[in-house]
Amino acid sequence: MADEAKKKVPHKKLPKQIYQALEYVVGKRWISEKRSLVETYSKLSIEGMTYVRKHMRDAAALPACVVLPNSTEEVQGVVRVCNRFGVPFIPFTNGQVFCGTTNAEPTVIIHMSRMNRIINIDADTMVATLESYVDYAQLQAEAMKLGLWNGGTPLATSLCKLSSQFAFAGLWQTDLKYGLLNRNIISVKMVLPDGEILETGTRCLPGAGDFWEYGPGPDLMGLQRGGAGSNGIVTEISVKLHPWVGGTELPEVPAGRPSLADVHDPAYDSPLPPDNHRLYWIEFKDLETEIKTMREISHSGIAIGLNATGVYSAYYCSQTQEMTWERCKNKFFPDYNCYVIIAGITSARQIEYEEKVLKIIVERNGGTFLSEEYKPEVLEALKPWNLDCIRHTSGFRMNRKMYASAWLPVGPFEVGKKTQQFWNDALNAFGQCDITDRGGADDTPFIYALQRGRFSFAETDNYPDPTNPQEITKAAGFGIYGMARLVKEKVCPCLMAFLNVEPLVTMFPEVGPNQHLLFQKIRKVFDPKSVNAPGRQVWTEEEWKNTPPQLKGMVNAMRQMVGLDKVE
Amino acid sequence: MVLIRTKVSPMTIKKDDKKVFERELEDYRDQVWGCARCNWCQNQWGWSVKSAEFSEICPAFHEYRFFPYSGMGKMHIARAILEGDFDYEDAPELAEFIYTCTTCGACEMNCQRLQDKEPLKVNEALRARLVRDGIGPMPAHQTLIKSVKHYDNPWMQPRSQRDKWAKKIILKDVSKEKAETLFFVGCTTALDSTMTGVARNTARLLLAAGVDLGTLGKDEICCGSPIARVGDRETFIALAKRNADILNKTGARKIVTSCPGCYRALLHDYPEVPGAAPIEADILHTVEYLDLLISHGRLILANEIPMRVTWHDPCHLGRHCGIYDAPRNILKAIPGIEFIEKERNRDQSWCCGGGGGARTAFPEFAAKTAEKLIHEAKTTTGADAIVTCCPFCEINIGDILRRSGDSMKLFNLVDLVAQAAGVNEK
Repeated sequence: MADEAKKKVPHKKLPKQIYQALEYVVGKRWISEKRSLVETYSKLSIEGMTYVRKHMRDAAALPACVVLPNSTEEVQGVVRVCNRFGVPFIPFTNGQVFCGTTNAEPTVIIHMSRMNRIINIDADTMVATLESYVDYAQLQAEAMKLGLWNGGTPLATSLCKLSSQFAFAGLWQTDLKYGLLNRNIISVKMVLPDGEILETGTRCLPGAGDFWEYGPGPDLMGLQRGGAGSNGIVTEISVKLHPWVGGTELPEVPAGRPSLADVHDPAYDSPLPPDNHRLYWIEFKDLETEIKTMREISHSGIAIGLNATGVYSAYYCSQTQEMTWERCKNKFFPDYNCYVIIAGITSARQIEYEEKVLKIIVERNGGTFLSEEYKPEVLEALKPWNLDCIRHTSGFRMNRKMYASAWLPVGPFEVGKKTQQFWNDALNAFGQCDITDRGGADDTPFIYALQRGRFSFAETDNYPDPTNPQEITKAAGFGIYGMARLVKEKVCPCLMAFLNVEPLVTMFPEVGPNQHLLFQKIRKVFDPKSVNAPGRQVWTEEEWKNTPPQLKGMVNAMRQMVGLDKVE
Repeated sequence: MVLIRTKVSPMTIKKDDKKVFERELEDYRDQVWGCARCNWCQNQWGWSVKSAEFSEICPAFHEYRFFPYSGMGKMHIARAILEGDFDYEDAPELAEFIYTCTTCGACEMNCQRLQDKEPLKVNEALRARLVRDGIGPMPAHQTLIKSVKHYDNPWMQPRSQRDKWAKKIILKDVSKEKAETLFFVGCTTALDSTMTGVARNTARLLLAAGVDLGTLGKDEICCGSPIARVGDRETFIALAKRNADILNKTGARKIVTSCPGCYRALLHDYPEVPGAAPIEADILHTVEYLDLLISHGRLILANEIPMRVTWHDPCHLGRHCGIYDAPRNILKAIPGIEFIEKERNRDQSWCCGGGGGARTAFPEFAAKTAEKLIHEAKTTTGADAIVTCCPFCEINIGDILRRSGDSMKLFNLVDLVAQAAGVNEK
């Protein structure tokens, strides 16, 4: 079967004694070290370097085995076995972003797929408690039956697990009103890297209830959150719920359901918004006007969501890749736009009032609403957002090629302008992987208005060919360049993924400054055996020493390219 | 009566020139490298999720919880095999992962919608590769293949049994005289004693509606669908070519079949077989034809059937071929029937577990999948009965109901229509 010229990729297993100890914890059915099974946990998504490692036939990318615990106690048991034998472990849900890559040591993947229960929804305190594998769509579906919802879903889709998003930030389309996931977490139950169990918030006192994020003493959840999961495994998460007036379930698409025979028909992608919700699309002449209007809308206090979509509409609202390319080429969607989600939470008159305010602001700034009279075909094409803005589903259309690196700088709305400028510079320096990489350069980056416009995120991404390692490496270069440029220009890049993952933590000592030194100390406290998710957030000194010089060289080259000193 | 619906083969969406049954695993290289792990191959389309309990859609992942059982897992395994990362000797478990799939197509439905990728076709290409290399299919499938080779049906029945179901019904023999409509009965409906009533009721209904009907009698041969699904392309291609010639020789203008497997094979698989003659007749599933006959007043459903029912969409009829409305229209046209949708329905329907060779090779998995379907039908509809129109679904679900002594009833839609029309078997 194997091409004669290619060498097989060997699979390093755990010693029998360790495997049996793990098997004792989870039971024989729920552990496996089969070669083809571990393969499916070895190439992650949106993590270009795992693709490159696959191209390089790196045996270390394969985990030793996969375990499926069914309770916090079983997770604790697995973690304790790993500590006893000094075996690294990596918690895993979908495997989309930065689950952490295996290193040279045989590593245990703790896949949380059996911990998929909604433990409780308390309609009185408006708190939902979930196990690690519960996703946004599941939570929304159950909460909506009670007239509640969690406040939004990420563009990485409603299939994301809230426990995984705890590790980073959890960015939603409705951040304008509800903030990111991190503003909506009440508590977590975690298995720490040494096997201890931590419960945060008011639930830290058994029986006291689970309604407030602060318990006595320092904010331990704050210490864990955003750490790329390096300080433990979330087995339960409690989140805030909010009033929902859109009905007990999302409306059916008027055209009905597709089959494999007509799956790409846009009619099936054209839902109406939920009851008591409206979506407005506004076009602007340039980025300045777009940003100015977005700021005014945010500060006015209206709406639950406000975002500029740019090239993302070309992906999300196109039923095929060919259509995406065509629309990018022909500039089918406005270069500068935003959408506004208005909800009549208190009454229908709330929509009337907010619509009036919105129209005044838009008119004042010279924006134009898309309507039946103005670009109706564009408005029609944008219909997937009618439901996606509440429960995002089509996000992975951007991955039809490969989604290799993302910039997510955060700051006042002007961060969108800086992102556009820096992204243009990057494209000029490296060249594009795909026509869609131009999104954010020739048009608006995706701009999320956050927390009533106090600040925003501006996102740009690139899309190499997954079969081409050179192109993926180039795309990864984009990511590192972006980090270097943002640090150099003093634009905060840190809330999302990249600066939480090595080598970018250690190689950007400007952040903190020297935050990696503090992270190392914290890791020593929580993870004395250095077994939890190696490479996430911070390396130990020894891991740093073992970092391939090529990787350090690549980061240093980018640092020097933007005028930062080399890191030794 | 004119059919106004346009049928588009799902395979024609593909951009390359190769037909599906000539595509090798290598032809999917871009796709398998490009799997983004979005995981929608395991879950219901996000907008359709109505509860946490019924939010998943891949029967195999739901049961086993490890990724190789999912569409995504198969993509990753295919990538590794293509690149030679491991060999069969390293992975004796491989066939089990590849064949624990009911080919329900839910993964492909969602992946096509999001990523333009085809995890089911990748898995079928993997199966073909395993068969080519002597690793597949599963031992239990060998009997089925041998039977098709020796008897032209997968159930080890002599050819002489094929038309036994029709003893008391006068039908044209299309080898002797022309008929406008050919009833392609299908092996299971013709040969399984629990299903032959459906064949008779189908014939009675069509004759009652004045359809000029004939059959191939003993000369009908297997459509090859079960063989195609387990990856024996050589046998399937030969069958498809033979069948296309036989069917075209009849000169029938319509071919009606009771089996969604046959329907999908004739409608979508045969055009993807290199060298097979195009079938000249319109191909219809029984429920489509009955829906037309009822709506045109050629069948009158006068008898009341007081019952609360739900519909189970057979995967090969619904998700694969887009026949969602016809059976619902019929149920709504039967007096006394109260129709309630299951939570997961149409493109997001939960598979019964009986297809793709899963029931043959992994009966326990197939049984558990059917149990989950029955549970969903009960908890989300409160129905007295599940109605469907696929022999594989009916046998698989029926087994569980009988075994458990469950009060839930199971009907083939054709039998209900026959009862309502007063032409059913007494």
